[in-house]
Amino acid sequence: MGNRSSLLLREEEIAQIQQETGFTPNQIERLYSRFTSLDRGDCGTLSRDDFLRIPELAINPLGERIVNSFFQGDMYNDRVNFRQFMNVLAHFRPVKKNKDNRLNSREAKLKFAFKMYDLDNDDLISRDELLAILHMMVGANISEEQLTSIAERTILEADEDGDQMISFEEFCKALQRTDVEQKMSIRFLN
Amino acid sequence: MAPKLSEIFPESCLLIVVGVVIGVILVHVTGSVHMSPLTPDTFFIYMLPPIILDAGYFMPNRLFFDHLGTILLFAVIGTIFNTFAIGASLWAVGQTGMFQCGETPPLDMFLFAALISAVDPVAVLAVFEEIHVNEILYIVVFGESLLNDAVTVVLYHMFEAYTEMKDTGIVTMDVVAGCTNFFVVAVGGTVIGIFWGMATGFVTRFTNEVRVIEPIFIFVMAYMAYLCAEIFHMSGILAITFCGITMKNYVEGNISHKSHTTIKYTMKMLSSSSETIIFMFLGVATVNKLHMWNTWFVVLTILFCSIYRAIGVILLTAVANKFRLNQLSKVEKFVMSYGGLRGAVAFALVLLIDEEIVPLQPMFMTTTIAVVYFTVFFQGITIKPLVKILNVKTAEKRKPTMNERIHEKLMDHLMAGVEDILGQHGNYHVRDRFKRFDNKYIRPFLLRNYQGAEPKILETYSKLAMRDAMEFMRRNASTIGNISGTESMSGIFKNYTAGNLDGSTSFSQLDSSNWNVDMQELEYNPSKKDLTDAKIHHLLAEELCQPKRHRRLSYSRHAVNDRDLSTQVNYKMHYNMRRMVGDSKRHHHKRHSKKLQKDGKQNHVSFPEFQQNGTAKQFSHDYISQVLSEEEVPDPKANKEEWDSPITFTAKSSPSDEAHMSTGTEGSGSVHFGLLLGIKRYKSTAAENYMPWRQDKTKCNVTDDSIYSDGMKRTSRGSIDESTRVTTPTATETMLPWKRDDEDECSAPLQQCEFPAWASNKEYLAYNSPSATFLGGLENNRSSVIGLFRRDSAASGHISSCESSPQKERRGSSGPNAIILIEEDVADPLGVLTRQLTAPTTSHPPLTPNLRRQIRRGSMLEISGITRNSIPEETLNRRASWLPPPPKSSRTPRVKIKRQRTVSSSTTLMSSSSSSESSIEEEDADIQSLMKAGF
Repeated sequence: MGNRSSLLLREEEIAQIQQETGFTPNQIERLYSRFTSLDRGDCGTLSRDDFLRIPELAINPLGERIVNSFFQGDMYNDRVNFRQFMNVLAHFRPVKKNKDNRLNSREAKLKFAFKMYDLDNDDLISRDELLAILHMMVGANISEEQLTSIAERTILEADEDGDQMISFEEFCKALQRTDVEQKMSIRFLN
Repeated sequence: MAPKLSEIFPESCLLIVVGVVIGVILVHVTGSVHMSPLTPDTFFIYMLPPIILDAGYFMPNRLFFDHLGTILLFAVIGTIFNTFAIGASLWAVGQTGMFQCGETPPLDMFLFAALISAVDPVAVLAVFEEIHVNEILYIVVFGESLLNDAVTVVLYHMFEAYTEMKDTGIVTMDVVAGCTNFFVVAVGGTVIGIFWGMATGFVTRFTNEVRVIEPIFIFVMAYMAYLCAEIFHMSGILAITFCGITMKNYVEGNISHKSHTTIKYTMKMLSSSSETIIFMFLGVATVNKLHMWNTWFVVLTILFCSIYRAIGVILLTAVANKFRLNQLSKVEKFVMSYGGLRGAVAFALVLLIDEEIVPLQPMFMTTTIAVVYFTVFFQGITIKPLVKILNVKTAEKRKPTMNERIHEKLMDHLMAGVEDILGQHGNYHVRDRFKRFDNKYIRPFLLRNYQGAEPKILETYSKLAMRDAMEFMRRNASTIGNISGTESMSGIFKNYTAGNLDGSTSFSQLDSSNWNVDMQELEYNPSKKDLTDAKIHHLLAEELCQPKRHRRLSYSRHAVNDRDLSTQVNYKMHYNMRRMVGDSKRHHHKRHSKKLQKDGKQNHVSFPEFQQNGTAKQFSHDYISQVLSEEEVPDPKANKEEWDSPITFTAKSSPSDEAHMSTGTEGSGSVHFGLLLGIKRYKSTAAENYMPWRQDKTKCNVTDDSIYSDGMKRTSRGSIDESTRVTTPTATETMLPWKRDDEDECSAPLQQCEFPAWASNKEYLAYNSPSATFLGGLENNRSSVIGLFRRDSAASGHISSCESSPQKERRGSSGPNAIILIEEDVADPLGVLTRQLTAPTTSHPPLTPNLRRQIRRGSMLEISGITRNSIPEETLNRRASWLPPPPKSSRTPRVKIKRQRTVSSSTTLMSSSSSSESSIEEEDADIQSLMKAGF
């Protein structure tokens, strides 16, 4: 599979992706082989089901949201191609000093996390959106009220302009002291 | 001068100096030849475990396991490398004859190198706690010092064994055995530690009744882990470290807040006293006459230690950085190598060397002390300024905010998901796996209140809520009037209380939840009127808080005086109402079904005798519906059914009365209602047949209930406040039945609904001394109630035919049924009970010498009448199911009920009430906190 995939990936494509995302050619080929192995239909794109077929992802409480974040292109579509796939993954490259960190800057990472909450794309996390995430993460053993109060408390804590929503700026501010660069990075194998 | 000194020198240095001074004095004064209080035995058995346990228990788990790879690399490879490098170098130098101490056999040198090369956890802790380097640096150095114990122990024993058998010659087999030994020792120690950690978690699951012994378990079982490992010659340090790491996860979920504090402080105290003693004894032990100073050996040892430490760190970080996301920088490398302090472990180990076998032992001891002094003094003192100069990232200690907690959790899940997508099995993947496993298989078994997947979020939340509450109280204590601006706060408190009532352990700070109760009503019903009411309530609460506490203290024994008794009724009544209201879901339906009945449903039965109680009925309806009106009723359908079944039961259970029951269709008396409750409750006591006094109490409550409902809407309302303030007269009463229901079934809604109902009561304002009003009302109405009962008993006592009647009728029948036996059958019902339940159900306690007593007694009797009637029926019906009473098993009453409803409604009641019974203890805390709050 790995051979075939690297065959399918042309040099200029690799170069383009490398230029776009900052992955090394080795990483790109490796990820492409992963991409094709996920692509059951051999159509060069991945559907949501292809993602959710990964067993661990399927039981990840936020699995659907994570998959969903791959599908947030400029337009609504239900398949991702390799370039989009790589563009999303590029968010998780470790931040390197003195290099171009367009996709994987701290802000980009934060934005990615923020988008996980923000379902309706209004750049605000509402109470309900936060509650939905809490539901997924915490599970069923906790009463609704408790979760609601946690959500309210969280918003109250971050909310600065008093609109009962968390804007992206407030989100960043709330995570000021968190080592996002490290927490949202993965060591991509070569 | 003094503060400056402690700023420059780490504590450990000063302690050693003190120790040396003491040692010198002792030697000169007593002339004793050898003062060595720090024997290896005392060190390893008594002094080391507390320090390591402290380290393990308060180890930041996440951090530790994130960097476990690096830590292990340093601990295992690094220590082995150091040992062999130092040993080889010393031996090589020894061959040149530089030491001039005669023979320097290689094995002796390796033995010495093994004990001198290990970084010492005690010394590292002592120094690193003061310099506050960033957490990664800290965890890497500290983790290394903990985990290298296994290596040290193995290497030490290996070389010791080799030295002992050097005459016979060492075969390859011995070397192989030494290597395997390492794995056995390390893995064995870890496994033992994890086992004991789990065991501790499991034990604390059952300590909720005896909170006092919780801390003991933590310490004893951790120590057991240590001893256990030592017995089997495993690594005791690893065992106790992992024991602490493991147990923390589960124990913290089970123990009470107070136990947590106790454990924390006891542990810190023990470990710091151990640390103090160790360093002081080290100083004292320095002063003896067995030293054998060898300048070259000492200097070279220190040199080699430093050099190889640095080399090891550089090499290993190069390796580690290949696998690490965040690279260890040069500065960090330097701090890591500079922080490789040696300490008391090495000293204790060198004392263990037998001089017979290793003739160089005195020299080794002197050198060890020299090395320890060098690292502790020189490196310990200079590391702080160096850290400042090198601008090492220092850690600020802080508690995570809610946002950080949640968003970081989100990131964890996100990263685990991304790793899965990438098909890489990294850290996140492993942790995710473990967490799933943990949540699925381990936590449910080790935690009493399994809280769902993210206990940390809840924990953070409860801590923050707690802090907010404290702050709020502190800030607003004097300015109670400004409550209106704090609705968000009160929301927090409300939920915090909700958490408490859910019985979640992470919210176990029950006693501190006093405030919340006030606050929540604000949030609850934020209309202006309520706010004003709440303000007044606050004022009252504050004023009345102190006296109440006093009184409570005075009662805690058997002292009962009339004044107490006069308030007791109110109190009981209050709690009775409370229970009524909060009696879990069942009560919620009560409301529903009641409403249904009120609407003229057929379920509704009444009899002429009770019609005079119309007002009371009305009131109780009002009150209850008002109280409950804002609650959300989960699963109303099921609830209704639940409610219905009790009705059925009461009817069935009173075969004797069914005949005499009338077919009225109007307005079930609130007395019925109360009695129904009473029956239920009484059932539960019957089921628990070992606590006879509870029954009496229940009865009392019922009486109060009925009195309460007896046409005294206004006064009783006012009296609620009174009763909240008032505490129970006797110690036993504090654990009595009114608490029974709250915990298990009433969660947050109970509290929420209760106060708004009160606070929104306009009439309350008119009653500045509610107790008086209430009592006055009581006086007026009492006779009528009793008369009522009398009449009933007279009417129903002789009718005891058992024909089955339709449900509607049954419901009504419970009322008269309850009243049948008021004064005649005191002994008889109880006798029946005793026989049936094989447990003595004593009569009412001599609580009330005055009139009230009569009332109560009447009610008791009436209840006992019920029981007598109901129990035979039950036994007929379904004896097997309830006779072996299921007291604590039914935590999920609804399920049970559903199952049993088809079989027999009486058993339904049984199960539900017993479930409520099971939660008495938990409620105690709740109630007490309430009382403390000044209600």
